[in-house]
Amino acid sequence: MATDTGTPQRATPAAPAPPPAGPATALLRARPVQAALLTVLLFAVVFGAYAAFGSLPTRTGLDLGLGAQLDRLYAWVVANRNASPLFLYGFNYLSVGLGSAVILIDQGLTLLTWPGVVVLGVFTAWRVAGWRVAAYVAVTFAVFGVLGLWEQAMTTLALITTSVLLALLAGIPLGIAAGRSQRFYRLIRPVLDFMQIMPAFAYLMPALLLFGIGNPSAAVVTTVYAIPPAVRITAMAIRNVDPGAVEATTSLGSTPWQLLTKVQLPLAKRTILLGVNQTIMLAMSMVVIASVIGAGGLGDAIYQALSKANVGQAMEAGLAIVLMAIALDRVTAAAGDGTRTPAIPERLRLPVLGAGVLAAAVAALAARLAGATAWPAGWELSIAGGVNWLNEALQDLVGDATKALAGATLNWVLDPLRAVLTDSPWWLVVIAAFVLGRLFGSWGTALTGGFAILACGLLGAWEFSMDTLSQVLVAALATVVIGFAVGILASRSDTFAALLRPLLDAMQTLPPFVYLIPAVALFGVGRIPALAAAVIYALPPVIRLVDDGIRGCSPSAVEAAVAQGSSRWQLLTKVQLPLARSSLLLAVNQGIMMVLAMVVIGALVGAGALGYGVVFGMAQNLLGLGLTSGLAIVGLGLFLDRVTQGAARQERTAHA
Amino acid sequence: MNSPTTEHPPSDRSDGDPKIAVHKLWKIFGRNASSVLGTELQDLDRDAIRERTGCTVAVRDVSFDVLPGEIFVVMGLSGSGKSTLIRCLTRLIEPSGGEVLLDGADIGGYGPQRLRELRRHQVAMVFQHFGLLAHRKAIDNVAYGLEVRGMGRTERYARAREMIDMVGLSGNENARPDQLSGGMQQRVGLARALAVDPEVLLFDEPFSALDPLIRRDMQQEVLRLQQELRKTAVFITHDLSEALKLGDRIAIMRDGELVQVGTAEELVGRPADDYVRDFVEDVNRTDVLTVRWLMRPPRDGEPLDGPVAAPRTVVRDVVPLLAAGSAPVRVVDGDTLLGVVGRADALRAIAEDQTEDATKAAADSAAAAGGPTGDGRS
Repeated sequence: MATDTGTPQRATPAAPAPPPAGPATALLRARPVQAALLTVLLFAVVFGAYAAFGSLPTRTGLDLGLGAQLDRLYAWVVANRNASPLFLYGFNYLSVGLGSAVILIDQGLTLLTWPGVVVLGVFTAWRVAGWRVAAYVAVTFAVFGVLGLWEQAMTTLALITTSVLLALLAGIPLGIAAGRSQRFYRLIRPVLDFMQIMPAFAYLMPALLLFGIGNPSAAVVTTVYAIPPAVRITAMAIRNVDPGAVEATTSLGSTPWQLLTKVQLPLAKRTILLGVNQTIMLAMSMVVIASVIGAGGLGDAIYQALSKANVGQAMEAGLAIVLMAIALDRVTAAAGDGTRTPAIPERLRLPVLGAGVLAAAVAALAARLAGATAWPAGWELSIAGGVNWLNEALQDLVGDATKALAGATLNWVLDPLRAVLTDSPWWLVVIAAFVLGRLFGSWGTALTGGFAILACGLLGAWEFSMDTLSQVLVAALATVVIGFAVGILASRSDTFAALLRPLLDAMQTLPPFVYLIPAVALFGVGRIPALAAAVIYALPPVIRLVDDGIRGCSPSAVEAAVAQGSSRWQLLTKVQLPLARSSLLLAVNQGIMMVLAMVVIGALVGAGALGYGVVFGMAQNLLGLGLTSGLAIVGLGLFLDRVTQGAARQERTAHA
Repeated sequence: MNSPTTEHPPSDRSDGDPKIAVHKLWKIFGRNASSVLGTELQDLDRDAIRERTGCTVAVRDVSFDVLPGEIFVVMGLSGSGKSTLIRCLTRLIEPSGGEVLLDGADIGGYGPQRLRELRRHQVAMVFQHFGLLAHRKAIDNVAYGLEVRGMGRTERYARAREMIDMVGLSGNENARPDQLSGGMQQRVGLARALAVDPEVLLFDEPFSALDPLIRRDMQQEVLRLQQELRKTAVFITHDLSEALKLGDRIAIMRDGELVQVGTAEELVGRPADDYVRDFVEDVNRTDVLTVRWLMRPPRDGEPLDGPVAAPRTVVRDVVPLLAAGSAPVRVVDGDTLLGVVGRADALRAIAEDQTEDATKAAADSAAAAGGPTGDGRS
């Protein structure tokens, strides 16, 4: 501003300039800051009033008694599981069928013996993704064996295969239909949106109710959880097919079927394979969580180890899962982009395929003849003891520091916030949710947000919900602060960004479950490790969106600002951050949703609250507790998503 | 330079049945399109209709005939509705009203199967952005139309190879579209349209995305193929020089309506309104006007031993003949004398050009001198 620098006013009459704004007033004018201040004010006023006129009211009976109803329903289900036609001819069949599918694939893998599986896996990886990935896959298999986790790894693989096949079988046709029909897309989009904001934990209880505990339940949950990206990405792929190619081929008289098979599907193939990759990764993360409802395999190994607080054992299974996730990701991603697929002349393709299958069969046969169907016990090597020793050494070294950090966070931030939320009269929190919704979005957002919070109370899960909410808010704040700082740094330094990229890639492929392991190693059990895991889990997408957003700013706008003499700080605060706003808002939204998902899973390491309700409900057959907690998670998710999305939407309309 | 070829000049145009007849065609985009047609709303102008109903009128009451074997050019600026119009001809966009007759049959009543047959056999289209299938080799792109007809592989490959040779792409059969340059890609597009041996070719700004030099090559290619194959063609362009070069007849389109339909000479010599006049203002008339346009009956006593010229010779090409001798040039068609063009006639045609330029220059300088407040051109 001319007035700031004191340069002489120009002769031309200038438009009335806004009052010179220092950073503090500019910050005050930012809507999120205003909203936060307003909320704090609201709470302060009400608390002040109560302090002046007496004590806080005890909590009112908001609970509708849904939990008891659900318990009765569960009792009915248990009593009638083998009598009601709904179960006898419906869910039970499905359950048996799914169970058999998982067992069949597991049996198939056993039948192949470990040498057969290794040869087949390595061959497939080579054929799709080249030598380097194949070598990586070979190492992965070796680690499964060496750690003595071969059986568990094969069970997990069988579960993933079953669920992914089912998810694709349902998801791709739906996606094609949605890609070709705008009306159908509009019909299913809200369902997909809803499914995607539902934290993984909320899926578990209904599946348990209908299918009981065990692998079939896990397969259902995993399938349902993995369907949305298959539908969404297939629809997007079909939609993004060059409209010129579609028009040109229509103009040559293609039938709708010809259009689909000769034009749309081939042109959409690569993107659809990307959807397959996403589906597999989601299935991977769910299959591990599903160990809570009795899925066997690696997830179960972690679950068992964590419940015994045995970091070493958890680390072994965690390592196996991490390696498997990265292997699955690399192989399917290569199938999608195709650049690393070895070029094999067309006439040799079938012979090469035959040779691979034959090699696997020979390896399997040889292993059977030699009687070495299981991984030789002599080749196993446990690292659990070593890890535990290391962990203890680490605890000796930094244990005091982490304990102090944890204690401070707990006493000074988390507990006070939880106290405010749980001690407030429920209507105050609902009003605050409503006000926040209105401030960030529309009246509709306000109503949805307010009702979602109210629902937590109506479900009888008010205290758990507020506890979870306090954890989410603290972790989200940490995530946003750290994520924005790192993201801005990455956007300003290509070297730093290049170093960060493989790390973020790897972190984004890991199932959320495994983040608990290092958190427990550092902070023991309780709410703090859950928060730490949530922050680490949610950081990669936040960092990435901030970095991409700033780098995506129109280069000409940046150039113009530099040409006008902006300093680097001015460039960042006046040009790049405002231009990247929609990315930044999306980063906040994504960060908060991932934090919520993780905080709930944190119940497994003692974070309590809603996640505990789900786990305890499942463990004790308390459907009422489990399901109401699950629904309250959805309520919180809906509130947090709508409010942060509302901000993004407002942004978009303001720019339109 | 090439004179605009006029295969069917107005005088000798056969009054046979049109290949394509478009009659009172309308296309209105929007939810309540049906509420506009047939009501008094349809007489309002575009903006008023959009304000009242939210609908956009893309094609408005358009009628024209395309004669067998001619290249009919539709020219207009972007947003004038020309691309919508050409898509209505095979119902790639469904017209809102009016009819399109192909060989006298109304295609509006065709069911999906019959419409596909029409697209597979009778009418093929070339697109601005090529619309090639990135996952197929050039030859498979060219053979696509034959493939969806159900033609066997050997047969359609033979035909596709022929077409690839015809458009000058021999040797590139196995290239994928992204390995070809823009001009080559459009040759594939052209070959694909020709492969089905259609009666009618539709071109939707086929060369707009190409570099100027390549565009000129492609225009030559179209003229050559047209001479060889004698297809009926409808050609959309926003480029006046392209229209003049290719069009037997040219329709000027504006805001969804046809402003004028005529030969290049008619547009340049007798623009229907200021809009068309603006358009053709910068055209060098001597490159467009032909002696047939200027000729008059010989006057008494005029010498009739001057050089001869065909009726379609442009003025620019008779100037050297007139300069070489004093006798007027005789315009002959075979043995018949159609008329003569004297020096004065040619000079007048050139002079009209320059008068216009001179008037404009004078007006400009007047505006510039009018005062600093004026927003005259700098």
